[in-house]
Order: sequence, then structure tokens, then C-alpha cells
Amino acid sequence: MLIRRAIKGLQGGILFCILVSFTACATRGDVYRDPNMDFGAIRTVAIMPFANLTRDQLAGERVRDVFMTMLLATGGVYVVPQGEVARAALAAGITNPAAPTKEEILKFAVFVKADAVITGVVREYGEVRSGTASANVVSLSLQMIEAQTGKIVWSASSTKGGIGMKERLLGGGGEPLNDSTEKAVKDVINKLFK
Amino acid sequence: MSSINSLNKALALVLAGLIGLNGCAVKGLSPTAGPVERGKKLSVAVFPVENLSGKPAPLKEMRQALMKDITGSDVSLLGDEKIEGFMARHRVRYTGGIDTETALALKAELGADAVLITSLEQYNESAPPEIAVICRLVSLGDPPLILWMDIMGMAGDDSPGILGLGLIDDPAVLRGKVLRMLADSLAGHLSGKRERAERRGGKKRFEPKIVYRALSLPREKANYAVAVTPFFNSSDRKNAGEIVVLHLVKDLAASGNFSVIEPGVLRQKLLNFRVIMNEGLSLADEDLVAQSLGADLIFTGEVARYHDDESSRGRPNVDFFVLVIERSAKKMVWASESYNRGDDGVYFFDYGKVNTASALASEMTRSLVEKISEK
Repeated sequence: MLIRRAIKGLQGGILFCILVSFTACATRGDVYRDPNMDFGAIRTVAIMPFANLTRDQLAGERVRDVFMTMLLATGGVYVVPQGEVARAALAAGITNPAAPTKEEILKFAVFVKADAVITGVVREYGEVRSGTASANVVSLSLQMIEAQTGKIVWSASSTKGGIGMKERLLGGGGEPLNDSTEKAVKDVINKLFK
Repeated sequence: MSSINSLNKALALVLAGLIGLNGCAVKGLSPTAGPVERGKKLSVAVFPVENLSGKPAPLKEMRQALMKDITGSDVSLLGDEKIEGFMARHRVRYTGGIDTETALALKAELGADAVLITSLEQYNESAPPEIAVICRLVSLGDPPLILWMDIMGMAGDDSPGILGLGLIDDPAVLRGKVLRMLADSLAGHLSGKRERAERRGGKKRFEPKIVYRALSLPREKANYAVAVTPFFNSSDRKNAGEIVVLHLVKDLAASGNFSVIEPGVLRQKLLNFRVIMNEGLSLADEDLVAQSLGADLIFTGEVARYHDDESSRGRPNVDFFVLVIERSAKKMVWASESYNRGDDGVYFFDYGKVNTASALASEMTRSLVEKISEK
């Protein structure tokens, strides 16, 4: 009897140790940070128009507006106004502002006097359905390019909303799209400043 | 007795005009003449109604009804023929604002003191009817100054009352009510009463959801001269950019902390300088426009949603982004994202629900301006 109990206790202990060791090995697979980059030196950033892979034609603009305001609100960096970005992109002759080449970025950064340029992609924005359940989802990925070298120094992605257990059981359509957008943007910004 | 009454009215009119001028004085610019003179009725030219609703509407009838309601107060209105003749001579096609040149010509040729500019924001005749009208009185000086501005937006089911006795199904009745309220508001302003909008504060639920405020934007009352450039309209509603700009102009002017440049003057400057706004105003263009107008702050932005659900069960939805650039620093000093639905914060029996996008936008811009001007 005692031996059985001891074995059970040992099994539980081993299981606990395995779980603890799993959490220790957890990595943030959706974030890249250049270890040699001094992020503290970045004072001004320019946010390029986001590429939009969704059905909503204005998703890129909407997410960009939210990202810009939230990034400014952190007080960590200054963001160049959109109008100035558009003018500089035109002056630098950038053919596709959502995906500029290294040479284009080097030229563009001189015009806007930015230390870094942020580009992004909105992958999901809107309602998704699975069976009878539906919910709003926002998914985006961003990258920061150093203005002096044209190198990618940071990249991160986030997905918020979507169909979870609550939506499957209770319905309701999930949280509003604006809330999901805010959460996704906040998540990405946290990944930038961590 | 009647002469004493008329003298009192004239004095009140002069006082109201002086108060209005003081409140609207633009820093760096001085008006050449006041809108009213002692012992004289305020001579007002009523411009044809600008239709921003995107739908056909009885604009002529509305203008006539508004003129009839205003005639009761202490203003004398210029005749239609005179105004039409002036507009034809000067090729005035834009009636949503007035530039300095047209204002001075109107004053010199017709002897008018001010112009009443009316924009129809929303018009829906199907039950429940909805109507929203934006009206402003602009002095005819150099530069033209906004003396008074108000927005009235109502739906037929705003106040259903017990057993639906308060429901308004007839669009003409609702139209008349809205126009009368505007005329009363104007009369109230001219008689020295403070406007309704100035008395009521913004509600917490309509405040911007994300805000950036630079430290360089002082929280004290600074009386900034501000220009509000047209907002980009990304929504599916026609003219939503212009509509949100007018809401913002009204609340900025009413706050008392800002001297707002007449949108017609700004529009003319943008045309003169051939400014093309690619996704917004560039810093070079912003500097050019701000220098020429003497503006300290330039407001710009984008309207993402301006949705009016035209049914009794519907809920309006408004979403816009505002950005403020300071001329001297050439930097952004304010950025905010505002979004709301008509039933935000409504839990019981639709109490507190906002039925029109106009009323919702008004609440949102009021809260935004309060947030900008808060100490």
C-alpha cells in the first residue's frame, strides 16, 4: 500500500517537473530582435502604409492609424505624420510603399529624417466563420528597418480575436473589431518595447 | 415704450456682436469691421443649403423655412434676388463656406454684415425620419469669423414617450422642428445667451479611445488659432470627411480655447496653393497654409466609419482619427482614435441610446475637444 502511494507521488512529481521544464523551454517564436541593435537610439520612426491581404479594402489604413496613435502614446518614439510619409515616398520614388526595397528605404529615411521605418502586413481583419460560430479576428505582422543600413532589426506578429470556446458555446459574434485591433496592436508594441 | 424696447434690443445686439467677435478673434489677424453697428439690425445673407447628405432633399423649402424662422429675431435678411445676382456675378458655386474675397465683396456690394451658411448633414424621409442640419453665422470681414455655429440632428423616434405618443412620423414636422431649434439657438446667441452646446460637457463614453498628447501642447487656456483641414473619407458614407470637420469646428469654436479659422477661407488657401493631400497634409504644405492663415495648430484626420442605420432598431457607428500638427515645432502634438456606436453604455430599455450618426459624432467631437483643452 505504502509502495503504491510512493509510486503515485513519484509519478506526480515527475509529471510536474516535466511541465515546469516545458515552460522553461518556451520561446517567443513570433518575435525577432536584432541583438546588436541599440533600440534606445531610435527617436523617430516612419510608418509605411500596411499591405492589406484582407477583403476589407481599408483594413490597412485602419490598423495603421491605431498603431500610429498607440505607438505615439507610449511616449517612446515620435512618429512622422502620414502626409509627410506619403510626400517623402513620392519624392523617393518608392513604387510600392508597403514593401520598399533597401535602396528605397535609405533614400526615403533621408527625406523624413527618421531613424527607422516600419512596414507591415494586415493578414486578417473582419469576421471569420466556423460552422455556426462566428467572431472577429485581427492578424498583423510588422517589421522595423533601420534607416541607416536598411536591415530588418525587429519583426513581430500578433493575432487577436477569433473563434474560441466562448464563441462556440455561447455565440455572440466575439468582441468588437476595434477592441481586437487595439489588443493586437498593443501586443505588437509590447513585443517591441520588451 | 416700443422705442425703449427696440433700443434695448439694439444694445443687446451690439453687445452680442462684440462678445462674439471677442470669442472668435483669430490670433495674428484682426477683423476690419464688426458684424453689427449700433441701432442697426444685423443684415444677413442666407446662402443656399449645401447638401452633404448624399441624397435628394427639399433644400429650397428648408432655406425658406429657416429664413422664415430667423426673421422673427433681430436680423434683417437679404432678398433672394440680391443673393442670386451676387452669386452669379462672382461665380460663387461653393456654398459650404466663404472665403475672404467673397466676404468682402458681399459686404461692399450688398451691405451685409454676416452670412448664414447651412449644410444638410443627413436627410431620411422613411420612418422614422432623420434629419441633421449644420448652421453657422460668419462675419463678413477680413478675415471672416465664425460668430455662431450649431448642429441639430434628430430622429423621429428620439423621444417616443408613453405609448409612442412622442413619435414623429412626418418628415416635414421633424424638419420644421429642427430648423426652428436652429433659429432659436441663433436668436439666443444674438441676444447674449450662451449656447446650449457650451453648457453641456462631453460624456465619458464618447471620449477618444486612444490618445497621444505631446508635452509641448500646453494644458492652460492658450487661445490657439486653429485650422481644420478636410478629413480623408475612408467610410462608405458620402461627404463624411466634411461632416466630421464641421462637427469639430463647431466644438472647437464653442470651447472658447481656440480661434477657429472659417473652413471656407482654408479651402480657398488650399486651392490657391494647389495643395494635393496624399494621405494627409505634408509638413511643407502644412507650414505654407499655417503661415498664410496665421494658424498655430492644424487639425487633420481620417473618417473610417460614418454609418447611419436608418431603422428604429439600428445603431449608428462613427469612427475617426484626428491628428494635430503645431506650426512652430512642425511636430505632431495630438493624435487620437475615436470610435463609438449609438448604443455604447446603454443597458436598459434603450435609455441613453443615440439614434443618429450626427448626434453621435457631435458627442464624440465634444468629448475630443474637451480632452484636448483639459487642464
